[in-house]
Amino acid sequence: MSAATMTMRILIPAAVGAIALLQPAWAEPAADVRVTYSHGQFQPGVVSAPVDKPVVIHVKNLDAKALEFESTSLRVEKVVAAQSEGIVNVRALKPGRYEFYDDFNDKARGALVVE
Amino acid sequence: MRTTRHPARRSIPHAALALCALAALLGGTAAARAQDASSWREIETKYIFGFTTGSGIGLEGEKEFTVDSVGRFGKRDGHYAATETKYEFEFTPSQFVQIEFGALGSSHNIGGMTDLDGRNQAAFGGGFAEFRYLAVERTSNNPLSVTLAVEPTVRLIDETSGARVQNYEFETTVNADLELLKNRLYAGFNLLYEPEVTRTAIDGTLREATFGGSAALSVRLAPNLLIGGEVWYLRHYDSPTLSAFTGDALMAGPTLYVKFTSKMFMTAAWNAQLWGREVGNPLPLNLAEFQRHRARLKFAYEF
Repeated sequence: MSAATMTMRILIPAAVGAIALLQPAWAEPAADVRVTYSHGQFQPGVVSAPVDKPVVIHVKNLDAKALEFESTSLRVEKVVAAQSEGIVNVRALKPGRYEFYDDFNDKARGALVVE
Repeated sequence: MRTTRHPARRSIPHAALALCALAALLGGTAAARAQDASSWREIETKYIFGFTTGSGIGLEGEKEFTVDSVGRFGKRDGHYAATETKYEFEFTPSQFVQIEFGALGSSHNIGGMTDLDGRNQAAFGGGFAEFRYLAVERTSNNPLSVTLAVEPTVRLIDETSGARVQNYEFETTVNADLELLKNRLYAGFNLLYEPEVTRTAIDGTLREATFGGSAALSVRLAPNLLIGGEVWYLRHYDSPTLSAFTGDALMAGPTLYVKFTSKMFMTAAWNAQLWGREVGNPLPLNLAEFQRHRARLKFAYEF
C-alpha cells in the first residue's frame, strides 16, 4: 500500500466524521434576545432565555465605534460595526449564567441567564 | 520508534523538579487569593495545562495560527536533542467542533550514542490534522468539560532517530478539565491512546502504541497569567492492541500560560522523567521509548 493510499484511508473517515458534526443542531424555533450597546455598556446588563432552546442574540450597537461581542462560555464572537446590528446564533443552552463582553472594551460586561 | 535497549550509566531521578512545581503552585495559590477574580473574564482552558490539553475548542468562527515546538532531550549515553514543531492553523466552525491542520518541522542533534546514528539535521517532517468534539460542556452549574480528539499524523522523519521513514500515527485523546474555583483554579486530565505504524528501509514495518494519561493543576495568578504543574504516566507497547508491553515512565514538571493580548498568548511546559522501567533492563528510567526531559513552547495568534 502506498503512503498516499494509507494517508487517505486515515484522513477521509476522520474528515467525514468531522463534517457530520458540523450540521446545525438548532432545528427548533429560537428564542430572541435583544441587547443594546451604548456609551460603552450593554443594556440591559443581564438578559434571560429559556432552557434547551436555541437563542438568537440581536446586538444593536448605538456607539460610534465597532464592538466585538464575545463569550467564552457561549463560544461565540461577532464584530458589530458602529451604529449597526449584529446577530449571534447560539445553540440550545443548559441552565446557567453565561457571561459576555466587548472584546474591545474591558469594562463592557453582561450576562445571559438561562432558566 | 523506540531505540534498542542497552546498559548505560545510572541517572538521578528528578524529584526536585516536582517539588519546585508544587512550591510554585502553592505559592501561586496564595498570591491569587489576594486578588478578586470575580471581575476576570472566563478563560479558554485548552492550553493552560502544558502538555496536558484542556477541553476548550475556541469560539465559533475563530481562527488561530500557532507555532508549537516540543523538544526531547537526553537518552542513556552520548548527547541527544530532538525537536518537532507544528506550524498549525486551527478554526472553530461550530460551537462543538474544532479542526486543526498543519505541517511538521523536525530537528535532530545526536552524537556518541550506542544505538542511534549521529546526525545533525533539520527537515520538513510531515503533516497532521486534528478533529476535536466537545462532548460535555461547562456551565455555571457544571464545572466539568470534556472534549474528544483524534489526530492523524504522517511523518517522513522518525521522531526519535531522525532517520527517513514512513510513519502513520493516530492519536486519540480525551481532554477533560474542571474549574475548581471560579476563574482561579483548574484541574486538567488527559487519557491518551496513540497507535502508530512505521516503515523503515532497514527494519521493515514496526507497529507500536503508547497508552497513558495525565493530571494537571493550573492556578490563575492574574487575568493573563497562569502557572501550574502536571504529571504524565505513559506505557509503551510493541503492538497497537496493547498486548506487548515494553516499558513505562512517569514524568512531571511545571507549566506556564501567558496571554499577551486578547488575541495572542504563549504556553510553556517542562517535564522530567521521574521514574521509568524498560522490560528486560534493570537500569532506572525508561530511555528507550521516552527521554530524560521534554519541553514545550507554543505561541498563538487568534484572528
